[in-house]
Amino acid sequence: MSEGIRVLIVDDEVDFLNSIAKRLELRDFDVTKASRGVEAIEAARTGGFDLALLDLKMPGIDGEEVLEILKQEHKYLEVIILTGHGSIDSAVECTKLGAFGYLSKPYELDRLLEVLKEAYEARLTKKYADDQERLSQIMAATEELSAESILKKFRQHMVEHPTPLSVLKALRRLDDDEK
Amino acid sequence: MIHETGRFLWDERLLTRAENRFRTKALMPKATRKDRSSLAEFLPLGEGHYRDLKRRQIFRLLITYLVPLLVLIIYFTFQYSQLASEGRRTHLTEVAENQANTLNLFLSERLANLRNLINNPVFPEHLTSEILDYYLEDLTRVSAAFVDLGFFDESGVQAFYSGPFHALVNREYGNEAWFKKLIGQEEDFVITDIYLGFRQEPHFTIAVKKPIEGKYSILRATLAPQKIYDYMRSPEEATEVSVSIVNRDGYYQLVTPHIGTLLDTSSIVPPLEPRYGAQEVRLGGAALDYGYSWLRLADWALIVQRVDQPGMGLLWGVNRSFLVLSSSLIILFAVAIYFRAGKLVELEMKADRTKAQLEHASKLASVGELAAGIAHEINNPLAIINEEAGLMKDLMSSEFGEPSPPEELVTHLDVIEHAVFRCRDITHKLLGFVRKSHVELRPHNVAELVDGVIDGLLGREFAVSDIEIVRRYDPRLPDVPTDANQLEQVLLNIFNNAVDALEGRPGRIEITVSRRGKSVAIAITDNGKGMTQEQLGKMFLPFYTTKDVGRGTGLGLSVSHGIVEDLGGEIEVESQLNQGSTFTIVLPIL
Repeated sequence: MSEGIRVLIVDDEVDFLNSIAKRLELRDFDVTKASRGVEAIEAARTGGFDLALLDLKMPGIDGEEVLEILKQEHKYLEVIILTGHGSIDSAVECTKLGAFGYLSKPYELDRLLEVLKEAYEARLTKKYADDQERLSQIMAATEELSAESILKKFRQHMVEHPTPLSVLKALRRLDDDEK
Repeated sequence: MIHETGRFLWDERLLTRAENRFRTKALMPKATRKDRSSLAEFLPLGEGHYRDLKRRQIFRLLITYLVPLLVLIIYFTFQYSQLASEGRRTHLTEVAENQANTLNLFLSERLANLRNLINNPVFPEHLTSEILDYYLEDLTRVSAAFVDLGFFDESGVQAFYSGPFHALVNREYGNEAWFKKLIGQEEDFVITDIYLGFRQEPHFTIAVKKPIEGKYSILRATLAPQKIYDYMRSPEEATEVSVSIVNRDGYYQLVTPHIGTLLDTSSIVPPLEPRYGAQEVRLGGAALDYGYSWLRLADWALIVQRVDQPGMGLLWGVNRSFLVLSSSLIILFAVAIYFRAGKLVELEMKADRTKAQLEHASKLASVGELAAGIAHEINNPLAIINEEAGLMKDLMSSEFGEPSPPEELVTHLDVIEHAVFRCRDITHKLLGFVRKSHVELRPHNVAELVDGVIDGLLGREFAVSDIEIVRRYDPRLPDVPTDANQLEQVLLNIFNNAVDALEGRPGRIEITVSRRGKSVAIAITDNGKGMTQEQLGKMFLPFYTTKDVGRGTGLGLSVSHGIVEDLGGEIEVESQLNQGSTFTIVLPIL
């Protein structure tokens, strides 16, 4: 069910990192581990992750800073905080910085899985909404044009932004118009 | 109670006493038996301390206020008595001069009477007893002092006599001192001292001589001294002063009965020069001022002294009221100082109690902080245990394929065990942090304790390491009252940090134990990595650590700091990045 969801786990507790990674892998997540903030930021630049699990109290760059950078650099990456030092204040702060969820250690795995699922859906929804927005902009711009040129533009757009969802949407729209 | 410290528990009896005292003083009226422990907590120093403090305060205030006051009082008393005695002497001198003038006037008048008489041409040829009687009668009319009158020829025979003592007629006076003096001198008169003479009655005489046809004629009158006295003494002055007359040899010529007897030796003999003045004489241990003036016509000195007792009178009266005033002032000051000192000490006590309460509160706060820290810190190993346990469940269930072999599960159990030990470490350190009520102070040789830690607890570690241990102990160290176990824990923490600071490289740890005033200082210096400014600022905070996860709890220095504070000492830290750090434990000897 969670096949191919790419998750980055960041925690300085190596024992914890290993076991959570293993458990998520067993549940078909595609897991990458990082035990320092810097490592995590670099991994995110190359990895193209859907989700990130992030510890707050770490040596070097701490979790909040990592969160801020990740959210800046990756628009659709959803971050879930996992911390042993949970507090209302820090939860509020992290939410402001764009964290999707905030769980205190120790937690129940089912709860984490639930949050991961919600985060993934949220990511998809957000991306879908953004794509639709972009598509409607295109449609508005091409309304005046002929079918031929529309088709041409459409092809061109498809070449530039090849997402399966937008293709389907665009095709259905064309179909409706023809009717 | 977790915040009780050794110092508070030192002497329970003392605290109980102190508490009773407060109760009676109503400083803490709400105190009940149940409150005993809380009261004891907030009074770090016993009753004796405050009693001492009060005594010192009173002494200090007395010195500050009363000494200047006393100096002033003494100064003014001295000045005043100087002035008063000056004034009194001036007064006595004046009275003496006045009286002397009066007496001089009297004597010169009497002398003039006789001179007038002798110039009468009836002398010497036509003199008869009747004429002399007549003259005496005339003289007594002028002055009642005249007693008799006699006429002498040059040989000293009293040729004629008028007066009550008829036996004196024709008596030979040639050898009498006054006669010889009169004949021998140039002056024409003589006034004798008072004497008893042939008649055995006190009297004095005035004699004048006149040369007639180559021979001296001499006229002599006898006067009663009592008359002089009546003449001289005015009633007003008689109440204040007494007047007496002495001759050159110091015999009373005239005296008030309560001072002396006529012709007795006077205790006061004024100097011949100056002719008048005031003097002080010691009579029977008491100082007495008198004024005197020598007479012009007779070898008599007039002496004036106060009627009242020596040292009494006006000055004594003023002095007495001054003394009463100053002693009541002193008493007033002393009472004020006593109460003021009590008030000060009370304030001091309140301040101390407030301070102790603050310490207590901050201790509670740090315990709260600690508890929060503990709770969070334990979360991490708990999360590991949770994860590992879950993972093992996963591995054993059929949901994720073939169940794993037991060997793989063992590795996960190891991780769980390790996490459990981490939890235990944290709770132990926590206990170390709060277990402070068991401080037991006994005199210890600090150097021996340090050796015990280095050679005993850390002996093996140092033996296999490349760390050079340098010990510098002051040979004359006094014993320090301290808790050996607690101090060892502190030393162990600091040594462990020093070893960690060397990061496994060869290095040196230097231990210097020396005396510093009323304290003993244990300095532990490493030449390791040192600390940054930020680390220096945070190192005593609970759970602050620079070590890797699982290597340090961040409680070592925090606990050490608490312990050393409870032992009454402090920890000083100096550190330079990449140069090394010095931790100095300073413990009070007293």
